[in-house]
Amino acid sequence: MKTIARLFAFMLVFQWAAAQEVSDGDKLLNRPADRTYDVVLESGYLKVGVYENFPPYSYEVNGEPRGLDVELGKRIAEEMGLEFKVHWIVPDENLGDDLRNNVWKGHYLAKQRLADVMLRVPYDKTYAYMQDSTGEYVNEQVVMFGPYQQETWQIAYNPERLESVDTVAVFQYHPIGVEIDTLPDFYLTSGLRGRLRDQVRHFRNVEEAFRAMRDGEVAAVMGMRAEIDHELAKAENREFRLAGNGFPGIGKQVWDVGMAVKQSHRQLGYALEDVVGRLVKSGRLEQLFADLNLRYGVPQYYKEFLSEEALAKAEGKL
Amino acid sequence: MRTNKFGIRIAASALALAVSYGANATVTDKDILNDANTPEDVVSYGMGTQGQRFSSLADLNTDNVKFLQPAWAFSFGSEKMRGQETQPMIKDGVMYVSASYSRVYAIDAKTGEELWQYDARLPDGIMPCCDVVNRGVALYDDKVIFGTLDAKLVALNKDTGKPMWIKKVADYQAGYAITAAPLVVKGKVITGVSGGEFGIVGKVEAYDANTGEKVWTRPTVEGHMGYVYKDGKAVENGISGGKAGVTWPGDMWKNGGAATWLGGTYDPETDSLFFGTGNPAPWNSHLRPGDNLFSSSRLAIDPDDGSIKWHFQTTPHDGWDYDGVNELVSFDLKEGGKTVKAAATADRNGFMYVLNRENGDFIRGFPFVDKITWAEGLDPKTGRPIYKEGGRPGNPADMDGKKGEMVLAQPAFLGGKNWMPMAYSQETELFYVPSNEWAMDIWNENVSYKKGAAFLGAGFTIKPANDDYIGVLRAMDPKTGKEVWRYENTAPLWGGVMTTAGNLVFTGTPEGYLKAFDAKTGEELYRFNTGSGVVGTPITWTMDGEQYVSVASGWGGAVPLWGGEVAKVVKHFNQGGAIWTFKLPKDRVASK
Repeated sequence: MKTIARLFAFMLVFQWAAAQEVSDGDKLLNRPADRTYDVVLESGYLKVGVYENFPPYSYEVNGEPRGLDVELGKRIAEEMGLEFKVHWIVPDENLGDDLRNNVWKGHYLAKQRLADVMLRVPYDKTYAYMQDSTGEYVNEQVVMFGPYQQETWQIAYNPERLESVDTVAVFQYHPIGVEIDTLPDFYLTSGLRGRLRDQVRHFRNVEEAFRAMRDGEVAAVMGMRAEIDHELAKAENREFRLAGNGFPGIGKQVWDVGMAVKQSHRQLGYALEDVVGRLVKSGRLEQLFADLNLRYGVPQYYKEFLSEEALAKAEGKL
Repeated sequence: MRTNKFGIRIAASALALAVSYGANATVTDKDILNDANTPEDVVSYGMGTQGQRFSSLADLNTDNVKFLQPAWAFSFGSEKMRGQETQPMIKDGVMYVSASYSRVYAIDAKTGEELWQYDARLPDGIMPCCDVVNRGVALYDDKVIFGTLDAKLVALNKDTGKPMWIKKVADYQAGYAITAAPLVVKGKVITGVSGGEFGIVGKVEAYDANTGEKVWTRPTVEGHMGYVYKDGKAVENGISGGKAGVTWPGDMWKNGGAATWLGGTYDPETDSLFFGTGNPAPWNSHLRPGDNLFSSSRLAIDPDDGSIKWHFQTTPHDGWDYDGVNELVSFDLKEGGKTVKAAATADRNGFMYVLNRENGDFIRGFPFVDKITWAEGLDPKTGRPIYKEGGRPGNPADMDGKKGEMVLAQPAFLGGKNWMPMAYSQETELFYVPSNEWAMDIWNENVSYKKGAAFLGAGFTIKPANDDYIGVLRAMDPKTGKEVWRYENTAPLWGGVMTTAGNLVFTGTPEGYLKAFDAKTGEELYRFNTGSGVVGTPITWTMDGEQYVSVASGWGGAVPLWGGEVAKVVKHFNQGGAIWTFKLPKDRVASK
């Protein structure tokens, strides 16, 4: 449900980004360049779309892009013999909006601005082939492909406040921090018929929720596994522990994350898919995660056809 | 003082006008308060701060409106041709008007010649949520004041268009914007804010019109502290609603929404500002049991310090996105031999409310749309809706991996009436309400993602309630709650309404027409196609003994941003950006 007032006025901050980003749209016709595979190769660079301010995946430190997705984007560009160029994405209301604004159409106030490829796009056939009320395919303008990671949910807790977190029921009695308007927010606010609701504390991101845990305001934090791993790797959070609880009632316990290109740029997609497939299967992607103190989950996509040995290699166990 | 040729020319013409009209060179508080009674100018949004949009001019009337003819048209220029939701202002022969993308123009009201133009420097890549509209400027002293898409107030010199002060009202990076016309009361510029739902809190703020210094701030969600500013220091002025957590669970009041995105009206008789508030956050109402004050409400606010005098909540615990922002129009309700200081509003939720504007008491309420699915009616004593069983969209948390049950809700989230202001005629004692007949299907998505993560989302689609029309301009009687006449329009109505003592009602249509109707019968008496959809609000004034009408033309706003079956009706409309000005020639006044 949307409305005028609620619509997200997410703003792109380009003042700083302008230094890193290339502006290659058509100024006269006010539309983005049509960067097919050949055009991308000829230009010598690849514009990789990643979410801004989204550690550990993509964020900025001293004006430089950092994070897992940024590193992955650099590897991809390198393998293709191209220069990596960042394209920052301000998250809109949902994935469909992000794809429209950054992959196939451009935002109506930034029509010349598109990424060649967007990372961190969930790879889910149900989503890809979703139809609207008139039977049209909702995502027909993009191709979603190349899963590179499986993501899941995780809780971290303060052992001084909680002995352990066996089930989420403990959060009837202890405050827990979440990022506002995420699934952990919805899950905990509505779970157990709303009995956890009063203990849910809302923050703008997981990092702020951890700060609140250090300040004693919350006893635990729920987020995506990589976000939690990233925080726990910080010295100031070393007291905190990973919880081993399950998340009964969450429909999507795990999901694969991949990439997206405009549907008319499939040739570029095939090339990217090849590169990412090599990174996954060789275990180099796992190494990339390990270098950033993150656990790696091989996508379900690969689990379905890789041999046990090949899978172990991808998981960095060989 | 002014050295350039351009400035001298303006000064000279302004002087000539001042002589010919005997008007003041600058706009005073008195001018603003008296605006409804001075047909030679329009110096407030609403043609009077009470927002009646009624002109006492009767030169132009049902007999001669057919002779209304274009005097000039002015293009806003550039490629920014969309969403002209503005209401022009007129002072001393100069029109001051805003356009989409935070632009302002001063135009010679006789010739249509541009005097100056100001383009706000918006940050690169700014992404406002809901189109790029601006609904109008305020005039005060020698200033033209307006709000920008990056949530600033800008005061321009009325003669040169140069900024005199610029003040940040809220952080656009946090999701705030301003699209409404500011209101000036007692030397203070009063503004609300637009904003996304999550993480924002609505507020009403007052700034010194001369300096831009903040005078007070009033958050519109229960639990937040209001402040007055003295010598640059913030002094606590009471928590909105007394304390946090009364009508909200947990810490959800901290991000409760209730944006004040449509601005407000002012009633000098009760010395009250009336501001409406948007829907509560988050959208899933099952997460926030309680009334969620002061979302989807009308607030009466003290203009001196921002205190809330009373509130009336139209949709407690909103679950349909029924904003409560629509304008509250003050009027004298004469019935049973008594005159009640009343005010009326036509809500998104399909009900029209008549309130006592002295204390917010509910007088009566009634549907102004053909069908309301979410409520059985209103409690006759309190005006609180009687919710219909099964009328509330389900809780996404209850689903089990499959598409959730679909709920049909009418009116749709865009409302029985949206932002476009209605008008009240002191002659017919009727309200002229621009409304739409549409419904929405809402369901919980079985698969949804946000920022790379699994999510629980809702799907929705908006659809016309009838095959042949969506828009309905209605004449509503506030005494009986009855519809006196209606005019049906194929496309949704999205422009404001004005009425005159000439027994006329004016409004525009997305098909491009400025239309005039007989205020008593609804008979269409005049139409002129402006070349692009009209979503602006018309005004009228008199100059050199002739009556003028102006309206902005330029299709846009929220409707074309939404798909579904409504898109089929509007997708071929061309965008635009112009002001059209009409007049009734002197020698036609007596014509029939």
